[in-house]
Amino acid sequence: MPEIGIVLSTVVSGVLLGGMLALTALGLSIVLGVMRLVNLAHGDFLVVGAYAGFFFLKFTGVDPLVGLPVIALLLAALAVPLYHFLLAPLSTRGPEAQMMTMFAVSIILENVFVLAFSADTRTIERDYATLPLTFGSMTVPLIYVIGFSIAVALILMVHWLISRSGFGRDLRASSADAQAAEMLGVDVKRVQMLSFALGAACAGVGGTLIGAAFQFGPSSGGAYLLNSLAIVVLGGLGNVLGTLAGGLALGFLQSIGGLVLGDGYRDLVGMALFLLVLAFRPDGFLARARS
Amino acid sequence: MKTHSGLAEVGVLCGAFVLLWFAPVIADDYALQIAFRVLIYLSLAESWNLLAGSAGLVSLGTSCFVGLGAYVAFGLLNSLDMPLPLVLVCCALAGGALAALVSPALFRLRGLYFTVGTLALAELLRLTMVNVSAFGGASGIFLRQDPPPLPELFHYALVVALIASLSITACARTRVSVILRAVRDDEDAAAQMGVRPYRVKLGAFVLASALCAIAGGVQATKLGAIEPYGMFGLQWSIDVLAMVIIGGVGLRLGPLVGALLVVALGEALADYPEAHIAIAGVILIVLIRFAPRGVVGVVASLSSMMRRRAPA
Amino acid sequence: MRNYKVRLKVGAAVTVASIALGLGGARADEIVIGASIPLSGPLAGFGSFEQWGYKRAVDEVNKAGGISIGGTKQMVKLIIRDDKTDPNATASNTESLISRDKVVAMLGSCTPALVNAGALVAERAKKPIVTACDPLEIFKSVRKWNYAWDLFFSVPELAAAQFKALTDLGVQTNKKVAIWHDNGPDGQAVGGAIWPALAKEFGYEVVQNAEFPVDNTQFTSIIAEAKSKGADVVLGDAITPQAIAIRKQMAAAGYTPKVLNIEKGAEPVQFAEALGKLSDGIMVGGYWDPSFPYPGAADLAKAFESETKLTSSQHIADSYAAAQILLDAIAVAGSTDPEKINAAIAKTDKTYVVGPVKFDAEHTSKLPIVSLQWQSGKTVIVWPKASATGHFLFPMP
Repeated sequence: MPEIGIVLSTVVSGVLLGGMLALTALGLSIVLGVMRLVNLAHGDFLVVGAYAGFFFLKFTGVDPLVGLPVIALLLAALAVPLYHFLLAPLSTRGPEAQMMTMFAVSIILENVFVLAFSADTRTIERDYATLPLTFGSMTVPLIYVIGFSIAVALILMVHWLISRSGFGRDLRASSADAQAAEMLGVDVKRVQMLSFALGAACAGVGGTLIGAAFQFGPSSGGAYLLNSLAIVVLGGLGNVLGTLAGGLALGFLQSIGGLVLGDGYRDLVGMALFLLVLAFRPDGFLARARS
Repeated sequence: MKTHSGLAEVGVLCGAFVLLWFAPVIADDYALQIAFRVLIYLSLAESWNLLAGSAGLVSLGTSCFVGLGAYVAFGLLNSLDMPLPLVLVCCALAGGALAALVSPALFRLRGLYFTVGTLALAELLRLTMVNVSAFGGASGIFLRQDPPPLPELFHYALVVALIASLSITACARTRVSVILRAVRDDEDAAAQMGVRPYRVKLGAFVLASALCAIAGGVQATKLGAIEPYGMFGLQWSIDVLAMVIIGGVGLRLGPLVGALLVVALGEALADYPEAHIAIAGVILIVLIRFAPRGVVGVVASLSSMMRRRAPA
Repeated sequence: MRNYKVRLKVGAAVTVASIALGLGGARADEIVIGASIPLSGPLAGFGSFEQWGYKRAVDEVNKAGGISIGGTKQMVKLIIRDDKTDPNATASNTESLISRDKVVAMLGSCTPALVNAGALVAERAKKPIVTACDPLEIFKSVRKWNYAWDLFFSVPELAAAQFKALTDLGVQTNKKVAIWHDNGPDGQAVGGAIWPALAKEFGYEVVQNAEFPVDNTQFTSIIAEAKSKGADVVLGDAITPQAIAIRKQMAAAGYTPKVLNIEKGAEPVQFAEALGKLSDGIMVGGYWDPSFPYPGAADLAKAFESETKLTSSQHIADSYAAAQILLDAIAVAGSTDPEKINAAIAKTDKTYVVGPVKFDAEHTSKLPIVSLQWQSGKTVIVWPKASATGHFLFPMP
């Protein structure tokens, strides 16, 4: 049994990391909820955000955390034409069409990354990214605390947007029943486009945080896609606070898995949990039971 | 009971099989290798089409069963020295068994959730294989004996493709197809009409998975060395989906045309090693956008247009 | 009606397919060699190094007029295919290169899984394949090769180098060592078997031996455990993305051992570039460095960086040498007959940019290991003392 310091450090780090991963999953959740689309390019949007943060720092010298709004806007600007030209025309077709289109976007992005930025592994170098924070026998990375705070703040903002604003109301209506919403006068196409843009923006911000805390390269996206899927299912499609709770839960359980079985089993624990939840509570742990 | 066109289809398939059986006599190595790849892909695409086009289950879990077939094949060949046909039967049984095992959980999921669930299952299996060193871990395992020569492997692939195609014909041309479509279009209504959706989906899933496992076994035997990233990797699931979309989802010739085009495209783009992935992505986007029923759909609408223009 | 539609569709597809497949092929007066390397996917970095090394060797030979075959000088054509870090693709690429493009010999991919896939195809087709980027013992463990040739380092030597270096440099530590290794073939061999045995031999106590998947991203538990056990020496074996993650997470966890060594991952320049100051003091075993006293070594890295604007790595050297070995063998054989080329490769005995190369009975040629250490963004050879190009930085800053 490892000593209490290690257990505390690992579990708290896990929960903090879970918060960050929740942000990376948020975009996927929104898109899944509103458009019923498994965005296979989601991980690559994260990587775009990471590269954006990297080059933002390199060319302006300004801390990428300050530049997060810029990065969010950049991703949104990327997402809008993607939706308009590639996804919107396919909205009447089955799920495979949009899914495979996003997959094609994903592989194009990865190829472009290699051609434009080389295959080198990068990381966003900031002092705070490698400083420890110690409380007694517990040590957590400072960047996790920073990342967690930003993630939670952003998630709460998005939650407020979705539950209180007009756009949010339209978004919820479109997710629940697109046809009915259309009949009630909601411009579903516009809502979907803005949701897609919002999802991409969240992914980009999450990506910058990931890039600062860890490392990234052209093909890093795939791993994050799967993690994000697990969190989204845990929390319930389109449920913003659920995504946060799902992220925290996954982070917690993965850290326990890492402690008990070894770090290599973290992802395994995540996937196993994912499947269990899918099997028994596909609407997520926090969804109210269907009547 | 099979209709006339069903019998005709069986006849065409068997005729093609007999003709192609003798291909190694006249075809060169390159043609046989290409044909092998097409046949393996065809088997995978046919089984995917069975699930999705007929039963409405969009699966991203092909890699699960391909990998399972590969490892089962190597395990049996290395430790028991079984003859290959028997090994492949065991692969089919393993694939079917795994499918039956996960069905109770997987079939609680509908639509989108099912797709996501198959993706998670594939990843779970891959992660397990990577972590558990009893199956070779990330290093994988090697086939102790030399693989059979190319013509023999080609024959195996041909047989697998024939079985896959005949299965689809059987499902598409008999009463089974009506049942499958009923389940796909409205499961609850079908249930009320006396169809048992669970059993139907289970049957389709087991059959499709068994086919994937056999294909995986043949592919692995040809490779001679397997490891988790190559055999359980998501590229199998994605490639198959791409093929079926390019060919035409749910259309009888979709998988064949899709497999041919994907392999041909791969060969044509091979001369552009640095950008071929991006080019393939663009082609895929264009095809999805402008050929909603795939290439087969485009040809079908062209030929019906031509027929309408022809004098009465 | 129905039959007509069927025939039309199938005919169209087959036609398209045949046109596509008919493309390619080289002229009769060229020497065609092929290579399937990872230019996309997780190993895209290795692919870019290999591509450059292979191309450079071929370009040099062509600039000098080509190779003399039966009296006439012929140009060498190198056909490169991307195998997307997928062994299935390496195998099918190698097949196509041999059967469609009619290559007379192959150059290998990178990392055991991909190299094996390609080499098995070449071996069956009886075409010589010269490869690097595959540790010798792993290469030998696949089968008895007749047509495949490997030049790279020996796994036990790499593992021992670290312990020998620490002993020879006389470093004072608490002799507690933590071993972190990935579960790839060389990671398991080095970290799982050889290092624990050597640790005992050299009087170290192994306080932790952790294994993780090759693409692992989280190392918190591993680092926490090593930190709590107070290991002064950490020996790691992981590829570059993981190596960078490990170092960053160690800093973020407040754990700085006196000695940190990360095999494989800490070698390329991008490692130091990504970590900046954090890379100082990190050791890594290397089989090549621009400071080596072999012909062309000093210029190779400079040429790479100025031509490609990418950060370099020792992988440019072994791929360059592998291609040169093959081309030299073709020249010695004076023929494009694969058997003659194969026989000529067997007789290789020359010093290349990586050092002297001579293949033994098991078709391997060993590249000796030196111990490198990152100091201010540059690698310094710290062991063996005879080849040292700088002082050993200890403890790690």
